[in-house]
Amino acid sequence: MAVRELLDPIDFVGPSGRLFVDTSVFMDDRPDRRGGLKALLQRCGQAILLNSNPIVIPIDVVEELTKQSRKVDPERAEAIRRAGVAVGFIEDAAALGLVRTDIGHDSKHYADSVFEAIFTRYAKQYDMCLLINDITPLLHVRLLSHTSSKMLVAGSLTSDGRIDIESNQVLYERGVRKLRRKQDEGDAREVAALSPLLADFKGQFGTSEPADRRSGLTVLRSPSPASGVRRRAEPFDGEAAFRGADSSLSVGTIPSVGHKVHFTSPSGSGSVVLDELLGEGGEGAAYAVDGDRVVKIFDRDHVTHHRRAKVEQFASRNLFSEGICFPEAVVTNDAGEFVGYMMPRAHGHEFRVIMNPRRFLKAFPGWTKADLVDVCISFLEKVSYLHSLNVIVGDINPKNVIVDASKNVWMIDADSWQVDGYPCPVGTPMFTSASALGRPYAESLRTNEEELFAIATMLFMILITGQFPYARTGSDGDIARLIKDGNFAFQVGERSNRDQPEGNWKYMWSHMPRALKEMFWNTFHRDGQRYTSPPPAEEWLRAFRQYRWWLGSDKNFDPMSNDVYPFRFKAFKPDTPILECSQCHRPHALVGEWDEATQEHSTPEMCFDCRQQNRPKCSDCGTPRPEGALKDGRCRDCNRKRDYGTCERCGTEKPHRYLIGGRCSKCQLGTCKTCKMPVLKSELTYGRCGACERRAKELDPLRLCTDCRQPFIDFEHIEWFKGKGLDVAKSHVAIKKQCPPRTASTRPASAQRPQGVPRASTTTTKQAAPKQSARSQANLWERMKKWWNV
Amino acid sequence: MAFNIRADDLVENPTPRVPVSLCIDTSGSMAGEKIRELVAGIGLFYDAIDEDDDAHDSAEVSVVAFNSGAKLVRDFASIEGLQRDITITPSGLTHLGEGVNLALDTLEKRKSLYSDTGVLYFQPWLVLMTDGQPNGDKSELERAIERVTRMVAAKKLTVFPIAIGSDADLAVLARFAPEQPSLRLKGIDFKEFFEWLSKSVAKVSQSMPGGEPSINFSSIRGIEDL
Repeated sequence: MAVRELLDPIDFVGPSGRLFVDTSVFMDDRPDRRGGLKALLQRCGQAILLNSNPIVIPIDVVEELTKQSRKVDPERAEAIRRAGVAVGFIEDAAALGLVRTDIGHDSKHYADSVFEAIFTRYAKQYDMCLLINDITPLLHVRLLSHTSSKMLVAGSLTSDGRIDIESNQVLYERGVRKLRRKQDEGDAREVAALSPLLADFKGQFGTSEPADRRSGLTVLRSPSPASGVRRRAEPFDGEAAFRGADSSLSVGTIPSVGHKVHFTSPSGSGSVVLDELLGEGGEGAAYAVDGDRVVKIFDRDHVTHHRRAKVEQFASRNLFSEGICFPEAVVTNDAGEFVGYMMPRAHGHEFRVIMNPRRFLKAFPGWTKADLVDVCISFLEKVSYLHSLNVIVGDINPKNVIVDASKNVWMIDADSWQVDGYPCPVGTPMFTSASALGRPYAESLRTNEEELFAIATMLFMILITGQFPYARTGSDGDIARLIKDGNFAFQVGERSNRDQPEGNWKYMWSHMPRALKEMFWNTFHRDGQRYTSPPPAEEWLRAFRQYRWWLGSDKNFDPMSNDVYPFRFKAFKPDTPILECSQCHRPHALVGEWDEATQEHSTPEMCFDCRQQNRPKCSDCGTPRPEGALKDGRCRDCNRKRDYGTCERCGTEKPHRYLIGGRCSKCQLGTCKTCKMPVLKSELTYGRCGACERRAKELDPLRLCTDCRQPFIDFEHIEWFKGKGLDVAKSHVAIKKQCPPRTASTRPASAQRPQGVPRASTTTTKQAAPKQSARSQANLWERMKKWWNV
Repeated sequence: MAFNIRADDLVENPTPRVPVSLCIDTSGSMAGEKIRELVAGIGLFYDAIDEDDDAHDSAEVSVVAFNSGAKLVRDFASIEGLQRDITITPSGLTHLGEGVNLALDTLEKRKSLYSDTGVLYFQPWLVLMTDGQPNGDKSELERAIERVTRMVAAKKLTVFPIAIGSDADLAVLARFAPEQPSLRLKGIDFKEFFEWLSKSVAKVSQSMPGGEPSINFSSIRGIEDL
């Protein structure tokens, strides 16, 4: 790799570019750099005016120079003079339209952090160049360039007006020297900014510089980065409309092992033999070819228009990026029909090995938390780069991401990615946001937010080795429900949650830095501020780089925070005593507990696990309980489980003795005495079901009172007579009731009583009632006597 | 003292579980080759789960045996936690209803444990295998059928009623799963059935909970559809 590279500034004053100059360039008094600014304007002055795209000198830079120029310090006379000259230069150049000073301004920050803000914000929009001598922004821009599709560079200005781009190695060494210097000076702010940056930089570029692994395929050539600067790649159309439903392509032979296939790419074409079957998935099979390349051949059902279009789109752009299996060439069968694509071969394990402690410990036995954070960073860099190309991964899940023992992450399954309006047709419920659940994946485009939800879920599950963010107690296992509820049960700060799942997950969560916990909480909890707008990949990237730095810094005071599986909560403060347990002798196993009353730490004798282990255990569930909390050797819950059962019908919990045939007393079955049907006992009234009971109260419409010719007796009463073996009464009077009052006009003539006494009248009063009743009594007996005499 | 982060496998394993309840007939008629093949089949089922990367962490199997009563032979446990050797001496009658009710009670207990501890799980499976006519308490049988069909309708259970040999009461088995054809094992080919079952468990474990795992009965060779 070249140690340095000289770029022409003219590349950054075109319409899609931006050129920035920092204070340090104006203050650079090295003789070999003399005349650089003049040469710069000579090189690109015309283009600047032509494109109306002046060089950006942020207002902060101008202010800093002005401030410098006004100082009085005989020892720094030359620097003060230079600053004054620079201010004049800028004023004149601005008047000519060659520079602009209207950008920036944030008085709290140094000028270099203004550049950081600008570059981070516009990394996806412009090709940007920063002329600067300070190492920290140089490192930052180089790192940023790794996850951007735009050309982002930073370097010093040569005397002939070109940009001096140094290699990763040189930059890194400069950074380390500066860090040491700042450490010696005790500059905490600089150290805090530089340390995580350098750690990242080393992880990204340091020892594992990508060699050109493409030697096996000489016909396929991609531009390989000479000085670590990623070449610009044309992003896909981020606004492309949904292309509609996919449809099959007709295809004759689906090639398999031993078959020859043909590949075409912008950089060449040829034929290869499918060597070895690497794996089969739901959509097709992957074969090794030529050692370090893979050809994916689709099943017949998955040879579709969309897949062909996506593969062609990717291959035509000649994309290459370590860790991303971009389709490089379209693969066809002997008949020239599309059957698959060629890509780099990913090495390592599927992310699934991280998603379960048993598998994780088997695959990566020596890993610490820092290694998992590195995996997150590597994953985020890949995703962030894909996003800068307007590629949505779509089906982010533990099978589509590969990790090797050096913590390099590979993104595979490019043909499912959403690009250019072609949807990602597949998905995984666990990684699907509430808004996308229940909607067929292939029928619409994923939104950014849906993608970012999946990323947040993946990050959480990497750090905590597999636990689902929405796992909580009291659920019936329905994933979609859990996601929709948005009840993120891991607690942070004052936000406690009783549904936190059992197990060591709470300890793992506890040891994360507070800021990261807040980010997760706000993303996952329905009350969180990022619930509907999850953090983008670059924001996570910053947080995880910070986490990585924090782990190695002296701010990380609890040694257990470095463990993947801590077995206690994080120590509260740096001065909290952390001790070995006297029983199990595990180091750092116990921490002091702060006592407000005595204003000092009290340290328990043993760690939590040992205290638990020494306690008596419930004979049913095995849970350790405090002395005296067990009854008959069992805990309260287990005693209750033993003594109580659930009614199989209504689900109420009742003591077993009250459950008969599995049902509680309310749900017992009885028989309706009228219709003889089985009915819940609780629904019987006087032994009858609801329907029969209602009917019992109804008057029989067919039995009319012999006096008033109106229905007069209800079914229940009729049954009573029948039950006693008696004849059913025939009139109101016979059942001690009165005929209803009626007007003369409506009374049928036949109903005229021989006695001529009105049975009831509207003038009936309460006082008259007993009398009347006695009279009807007499009538009844009289009439009965008559019938019997007949 | 050795501490192990998997000391409590239930809560320390985040993989969503697939509870599988094997409810098997151990009445007198199962004696001889039938029971030997069945137990061998269960052993093979365990082995297949153990070897499969996905099923290993997700399957939890229980075994309930019924004859003149019902007995919980093995409570739910992960493949690493369960005692694999099973000895069964068939005898007595076919108290199928009692057996199914015990299997469901055991399942309910397990589900409430999952819920209490925050463990995710898929729709549980009940595999019901018999070679005869149920002759236990009639009301127990009706209760079992009612419970199973209610759970199946609410998508809380997947049931596989399997008839062993020609004497099995298909009409009763069909009542447990009115929506799907009952299956009759050809001869005593348990091996193939359990191979299929373990593959299906693996397939469910690969998917993510919440989805509806498709179960392809036609892929079971050695089983004829009635």
